[in-house]
Amino acid sequence: MAEVKLTKLNKSYDGGKTFVLKNIDLLIKDGEFTAFVGPSGCGKSTLLRMICGLEEISSGDLELEGTRVNDMPPNERRVGMVFQSYALYPHMTVRENMAFGLKLAKMSKDEINQRVEEAARSLQLTHLLDRKPKAMSGGQRQRVAIGRSIVQEPRLFLFDEPLSNLDVALRVQMRQELARLHNRLQTTSIYVTHDQVEAMTLADRIVVLSPLAEGAETNLEQVGAPLELYHNPCNLFVASFIGSPKMNFFSASLLETGEEQSRVKLDCGTELTVFNNTSSAKVGDKVTLGIRPQDVLNHEEECGAGNCITGTIETIERLGNESFIYLKHPDIQEAFIVRVEDSRRREPESAFRVGVPAENCHLFNEAGQAYPRTRSPRFD
Amino acid sequence: MTTPADAKGLLSGNGLKWALVALIDTALLYIIAGMYAQGEILFALTLLVLTGLGTWIFTSQKAYSYRYVYPCLLGIILFIIFPLLYTFNIAFTNYGSANILTLERVKEIHLEQQVRDSEVAFGLALYQNDDNYQLVLTDKSNKQAIYTTSSFVPAEQATEVSATAGNAAAGKKLSMRDVIKQRSALGMVTVTMDDGSRLVMTSLREFGVMTPLYREGDDHTLINNQTGEIIRPDMTTGFYVNEAGEQLPPGFSVYVGMENFERLIEDDGIRQPFIKIFIWTLVFAGLTVAFTAAIGLLLATLVQWEPLRERGVYRVLLILPYAVPAFISILIFKGLFNQNFGEINMILEGLFGIRPEWFTDPFLAKAMILIVNTWLGYPYMMIICMGLLKAIPDDLYEASAIDGASPIHNLLYITLPNLVKPLTPILIASFAFNFNNFVLINLLTDGGPMMSGTSTLAGNTDILVSFTFRTAFIAGQDFGLASAIATLIFLIVGFISWVNLRATRNLQEH
Amino acid sequence: MAMVQPRNLKYRVWAARLCMILLLCLVMFPFLMIVSVSFRSGNFATGSLIPENPSLEHWALVLGIPWEAADGTIMQPTFPVLTWLWNSIKVSLITSALILALSTTGAYAFARLRFRFKDHLLTMMMILQMFPAVLALVAFHAFFNKLGNFIPWLGLNTHAALIVSYLGGITMNIWLIKGYFQSIDNALEESAAIDGATPWQAFRYILLPLSVPILAVVFILAFITTIGEYPIASVLLQGADQLTLAVGAKQFLYAQNYLWGDFAAAAVLTGLPITIIFLVAQRYLVSGLTAGGVKG
Ligand SMILES: Nc1ncnc2c1ncn2[C@@H]1O[C@H](COP(=O)(O)OP(=O)(O)OP(=O)(O)O)[C@@H](O)[C@H]1O
Ligand SMILES: [Mg+2]
Repeated sequence: MAEVKLTKLNKSYDGGKTFVLKNIDLLIKDGEFTAFVGPSGCGKSTLLRMICGLEEISSGDLELEGTRVNDMPPNERRVGMVFQSYALYPHMTVRENMAFGLKLAKMSKDEINQRVEEAARSLQLTHLLDRKPKAMSGGQRQRVAIGRSIVQEPRLFLFDEPLSNLDVALRVQMRQELARLHNRLQTTSIYVTHDQVEAMTLADRIVVLSPLAEGAETNLEQVGAPLELYHNPCNLFVASFIGSPKMNFFSASLLETGEEQSRVKLDCGTELTVFNNTSSAKVGDKVTLGIRPQDVLNHEEECGAGNCITGTIETIERLGNESFIYLKHPDIQEAFIVRVEDSRRREPESAFRVGVPAENCHLFNEAGQAYPRTRSPRFD
Repeated sequence: MTTPADAKGLLSGNGLKWALVALIDTALLYIIAGMYAQGEILFALTLLVLTGLGTWIFTSQKAYSYRYVYPCLLGIILFIIFPLLYTFNIAFTNYGSANILTLERVKEIHLEQQVRDSEVAFGLALYQNDDNYQLVLTDKSNKQAIYTTSSFVPAEQATEVSATAGNAAAGKKLSMRDVIKQRSALGMVTVTMDDGSRLVMTSLREFGVMTPLYREGDDHTLINNQTGEIIRPDMTTGFYVNEAGEQLPPGFSVYVGMENFERLIEDDGIRQPFIKIFIWTLVFAGLTVAFTAAIGLLLATLVQWEPLRERGVYRVLLILPYAVPAFISILIFKGLFNQNFGEINMILEGLFGIRPEWFTDPFLAKAMILIVNTWLGYPYMMIICMGLLKAIPDDLYEASAIDGASPIHNLLYITLPNLVKPLTPILIASFAFNFNNFVLINLLTDGGPMMSGTSTLAGNTDILVSFTFRTAFIAGQDFGLASAIATLIFLIVGFISWVNLRATRNLQEH
Repeated sequence: MAMVQPRNLKYRVWAARLCMILLLCLVMFPFLMIVSVSFRSGNFATGSLIPENPSLEHWALVLGIPWEAADGTIMQPTFPVLTWLWNSIKVSLITSALILALSTTGAYAFARLRFRFKDHLLTMMMILQMFPAVLALVAFHAFFNKLGNFIPWLGLNTHAALIVSYLGGITMNIWLIKGYFQSIDNALEESAAIDGATPWQAFRYILLPLSVPILAVVFILAFITTIGEYPIASVLLQGADQLTLAVGAKQFLYAQNYLWGDFAAAAVLTGLPITIIFLVAQRYLVSGLTAGGVKG
């Protein structure tokens, strides 16, 4: 039962002056595939390295299978890790690379051979076993790095951006291999990535981290299943981080509050109805309204109650199967992005009136916390 | 958490480690005790601190990182820093051949001095009984008192016998001639009398009482047992002096303050050669750097000039002087330049009919040193310049060629400006090295020809370090003065390295 | 640069070639001379580069074999050259091994471990290596003189004292090895730690094998430096049988007893192997040498 439990984990440098991670509480269940995502520098790698023991834990508890391992050196933790740079031992062949840890564990020759060959077979590395890392392609090295941790049969797999050095096609292929591998071994895994798609497709659960803001309590933003994060981000940070292109945000104020639905007025004067529970708020509160480009409707007729916003088309990105239209709107500094399937009738500099279905809207209070949504989203 | 891990460690190999540490510590403590017993407090204390530190580092888990650094730091502390500080220390003492011991040791030597008590004398007769001998001693002042010693076997080592009253000797009495044969063995015999007094042989026919010349007084003073005269240590000169003010050797080393440095400034016999040597050291190091850098740069451009097809061969052959150990090349030159038997003078005589006096004429000796050192030093500069030249981008030369520039123009406006910055720290380091190029001077001329009219021995081609060496180990063993000069050199070298550090930093900034 | 060639290139190449050859004559003269002298009979110059009646007398004497001269007198070897050579090799090998061990572990700590005063210690080492041991000869002499009273095998005139006193010469090597260690990805050792290696095992099985090139360079550098070291050896060693070659070789050329021919043979015998080692390893040594300043 390789369960990982983090309790009030902190990481600070310079003797507690600069914090990188603060109050991380997390429970990773046995067999679960968890992804850490967050912008660069938010401490994903640091957290991963604390779990495997390469980085000291400043305070808090780390439990592996129910025992506290804060002070256990990495070589005793029985975890496997795949580094971004692969970190294959250049002076050893693939076979020696994979056997290194087993030899240190004083395993018998036969068993070592058996394990190495089995892992090599499953990763299609058998013909490469006697090569040195220098004579291999990036994808092959990647597989060796994975094989090296598999043979150890660790309690826990850790991956630090393992696919970021590969080209796009190979990345997709390796992603599927990783998914298959996890299905087969069912070992608890933690996966750090920049790539949302990797996180969304591979992970059972996603952990969103943010760069620690001045005075913030924690930089753990939200933990949840991929679609949960997508549909119900608990705050502005997660809402803007998950999903591509980014969610559109409008500043607005509350006209009517309610448990089932509310009414907001955008700063430009447009009034909209939204299905969010704002019973905790007062009329007149400043709020932020968010809607994903994919959730905007381009048939204004279909959204009832006149939930419409008008903007001027700035540019159109035509991708073939879909198009993104960038609208100018006084309430958004950057651009109001709308996804449409058919953009043939649209021209830049023309006005575009889009529908904003009440059930597709996200609403956040001034502190950035989400008001719960009350209806499931509606699609075209 | 910690307890079970420690217990496990103790079982698996950690026990061995503890045993090893204990063993080493025991050995070191034994040595420390020995040092302490001999009054070498400084040594004992230093070693004690280092031992304690080492033990802590190798047993404490907290000091894990230091386990890797401690051994090399120990090397640096013991063989760079300690000698440095020790040299500073000696510079303020009169440590030297005349004052080499410690005060404690000198006191012991004085206390060991024995004189004969002239009033007590015993005539001796030697009796032999097979291999055993006995002495019969007759008190000369009182003929009735006769004593016989226990029997002993004569040997070339200290022998103790006791004597009892009466003549009870067995065997036959030996003649004077046979006594003389046993002279050296008898010299090793000490006789303890009934009253506890101890007799030794004082002449061929007599045994007498030896008493220590001095007994200890207060405050390191010694009292002459015969005259009652008090001699006291003079802590400014490092000798015991008697009441008449005469110094009684051996001397001990004492702190003399700035005296050694004052001698460098005030004693004409030292100051003049010192200044001459200092100037020559600067000239020697400066010219060496200039010559080697110029030749090295020239050769570096030549061996990298592409039209010169066979440049690879030149490169290897030109590096040769650097590959041969310096002590061998220098001695080869010493032989070749030999005034009477050397090949160089033979060739010069054959060609021009001259035999320059390389080793007796100061100017020629200096010229020879510069020739040899340039020969030894240019390959290093060449190697460096080769690297630096490669780093200058080719397109600079291509651009200037398109402008129709000449090679001289290239050298002045492209090569040199690009070299100056990176070369400066190297030139300074080379200067510092040659400033202390002891091996060259010592092996080639040994400082000679010698200057005349100086109060310490000094040579015309001496540089500061070789002068220091001579002062310390050849002429008079004046360690104190030598260390004072060494201290000055330390300061100069320190200054040069400070300049160098700044030059390097400058380089990194641009 | 190849594209930019002036018209009179051919003459320039020949002029350069001529200069080079003249210069090489000057550079090679001492070496050729010394080889020639070693095969010449007698100890005095005869005036020709190629010996007129070559003889092996100097070689025999240097190798410790008595030599019977033409007139029937037997010449005995004057100095125990082979003993000196053996002393030199022994001292240099042990010293280099110790220097290698000390500077490797030290460099590992400086490159990889975190501890207090690290930067200060590094700067200190940088500065200390500027001070040559020649300046502290008195201290070395006094130090080992006293030490000999407590530990006789570490006193004056012992090889152990000499070896130990050379151990100060590790600062530059620490810098060299440290630089190399730092060029090796730290993730390799971290990966080894995850694979179950203790820090020592990671050092031993991962870092060391990857650093063999620099370790070889440091070993050879230390060997060459030690075998040519003269000042400390000349102060610490006294007995004729204890001398190293660097100290002993001088004795051939005392004015009272001038053994030019014997010296030549000894110089070739001992200089040649060192020179060959140097030239073979030259390519790898140069970087180390240029970083380490001037050769002594
Ligand atoms: N020794 C240190 N002292 C101070 N801050 C440090 C130190 N080491 C790392 N940091 C900081 O810790 C933060 C987290 O680094 P980390 O490598 O974990 O980020 P990351 O989320 O993995 O980023 P990326 O996605 O770019 O890999 C960074 O902002 C970095 O500046
Ligand atoms: Mg990272």
